[in-house]
Amino acid sequence: MNATVLVVDDEDSVRRTFHDWLLGSGLDLRVFAVADAEAALRIANDNPIDLAVLDWNLGSGSDGLRLLEDLVVFTPEIVAILVTGFAHQATPLDALRMGVRDYLDKNQNLTRETFLAAVRKQLDRIAPAKRQRELNARVAAFRESVENVLPIVRASAALNDPVPLPDAVRSLFQFLLRGTGAPDGALIVRHVAPDGTETLAAYAPDGRKLPAPATAFARTLAASVIGHDEPCLMNDFASGVEGLELFPFEENRKTVLAARMPVGAGVQVVLEMFDKPAFTEDDRRTAAVAAELGAELLRQGLAQRQTHRLLFDAVESALAASQAVTSALASPAPTEAAMERLKTGLDATANAVVDSATGLELLEAVRRLALRHGPDAVRHCARQIDELRELLDRIVGTAP
Amino acid sequence: MSALDEMLALATPERLLRDPRATGEGVAVAVLDSGIERTQLEERYAKAGLAIHPIDGIGFRGPKPDIVPYDGHQSSPHGTTVADIILSVAPRAKLYSADIFGPQGTCEVETVVAALRYALDVWKVKVVNLSLGVPEPRLQQLPKRQQLFRAIEEAYFRDVLVFAAANNDHPITRSYPAEFAAPLFSVDKGLFADPLEFAYQLRDRVEFQAHGRGYLGPFAREPATSWATPHLAGIAARILSLRPDLKPFEMKTILYWLGRAEARKSS
Repeated sequence: MNATVLVVDDEDSVRRTFHDWLLGSGLDLRVFAVADAEAALRIANDNPIDLAVLDWNLGSGSDGLRLLEDLVVFTPEIVAILVTGFAHQATPLDALRMGVRDYLDKNQNLTRETFLAAVRKQLDRIAPAKRQRELNARVAAFRESVENVLPIVRASAALNDPVPLPDAVRSLFQFLLRGTGAPDGALIVRHVAPDGTETLAAYAPDGRKLPAPATAFARTLAASVIGHDEPCLMNDFASGVEGLELFPFEENRKTVLAARMPVGAGVQVVLEMFDKPAFTEDDRRTAAVAAELGAELLRQGLAQRQTHRLLFDAVESALAASQAVTSALASPAPTEAAMERLKTGLDATANAVVDSATGLELLEAVRRLALRHGPDAVRHCARQIDELRELLDRIVGTAP
Repeated sequence: MSALDEMLALATPERLLRDPRATGEGVAVAVLDSGIERTQLEERYAKAGLAIHPIDGIGFRGPKPDIVPYDGHQSSPHGTTVADIILSVAPRAKLYSADIFGPQGTCEVETVVAALRYALDVWKVKVVNLSLGVPEPRLQQLPKRQQLFRAIEEAYFRDVLVFAAANNDHPITRSYPAEFAAPLFSVDKGLFADPLEFAYQLRDRVEFQAHGRGYLGPFAREPATSWATPHLAGIAARILSLRPDLKPFEMKTILYWLGRAEARKSS
């Protein structure tokens, strides 16, 4: 763990000694060593301090405990070791509340080993919390950067949309109405998402959206065309059709020419033209060509939109995931008491004989795993079991 | 006149198609299409005073594909028009609906094969109607084409009659499985005065021609191979109700002969 240690002592020799001991400790440390509170606060202003080693008596009426009070303002999670020749002067409860986790008495057996042992002990204790803080900070930074960039991506996607749907519809109908001589038409677009969610939209020849009330699509005129490879025409539409539900824009029509546009899976698009006195075979061929070309146009538009949607989905998933990670990290770590209970429980079941049913259960699970996912999965499973054993060994203190 | 000719001379349309027992009774037909609107057909035939067998079925979802229960509804009207044609020709045939399009409105080769196997293994049908075609570009991968071909062949060797619609008027694209002409009955559209009329008219791997107009649904009156196929499937169901154990090649011979007889009659 890369930790930052601040040493504050007004005695040069002591300060230098602590500094050298820390740098020579082999620990991954960044060390600042200063003589007074003012310098210490300047350092703390620029660098988050993990551990402060503070002299009780800093001279000029200042003391380590008061300095710690100020350092907490910069780094609320800071912990401290108080070095004093007069341990009785410290108020243990206040000191503990402010983050003092250990005392070192200058007058009693303060050696390199005792000093580094105290430092190591505190750094070990704060390591999980520090890792959590760092991860939180990284996640927050990630969220911030994504949230900043998202509007830009959205704006750019909107600008890059090559053919907006209304424009595409308008161009298509210009060609079709002129080619067939039909006075009116409509484009029906139905999208069924993989989860079954259905959306239905209809467009007029000028690209305007038409009201398409919720209806059972399977019974509509548009659905009737879906199963046909070629455009369908009906010059006696006014006589009505059994079992058919019509959209408002299809009602009271005399003739219909309709073609399916093969856009892609999950998207059904049907082109309808109305009210030419009589549609002909030439009109059918014109509609077939328009349906092919229009489908290509829509496919490209949809591909662009899908790419954008995939990007948005990915970014939103990442944001949601980072939120989940942050929440998970915020949950309290197991307390020492809980760990102690776990250890007691493990001790109680240590060396218990595994009955044959449990053994067979494990064998059966491994057999099923091998059958379904092959030898690599079994090897992974064995590694997992080894890691679990090592973890439990560490908890109960029997690790080699 | 050969012995075969003598024997076949007894097989006249009047004897085989217009026999009062030729109703499709005892013949199970699978309609692999866009589902069947069950109530609509039940009501339609009840109004006409005809009792039809209950229509059962399944649906398919997803790319694997997964089988889902049949809720008695169509995903688009195409399948109901097809089923209505079969019942109008053979009203006592027992229909099974496999909705291979589903709400997404697309159908993959895998789904056609899965539905075909389900029809053979579970429903144990004698006739399969495929008023659909997979365009050739979607069968570029040889394994896919073989998968479809094997399923059709399997039906043939299990004495199941598969009727498949030829592609309509597209000048270039061939559509499958109708192109696998030998083990199945490929059907083109024609216009006949009587829906029980048909013709044997080999043209570009397509062998039969049947009446191309339907009766129910918005575009049923539009001539299409989709409507011709169930006409011939219904005709086969009628014949099968007289001789249920006919093999595909025997049925093809009979239809060939009857088709020629119809042609002779009209000429």
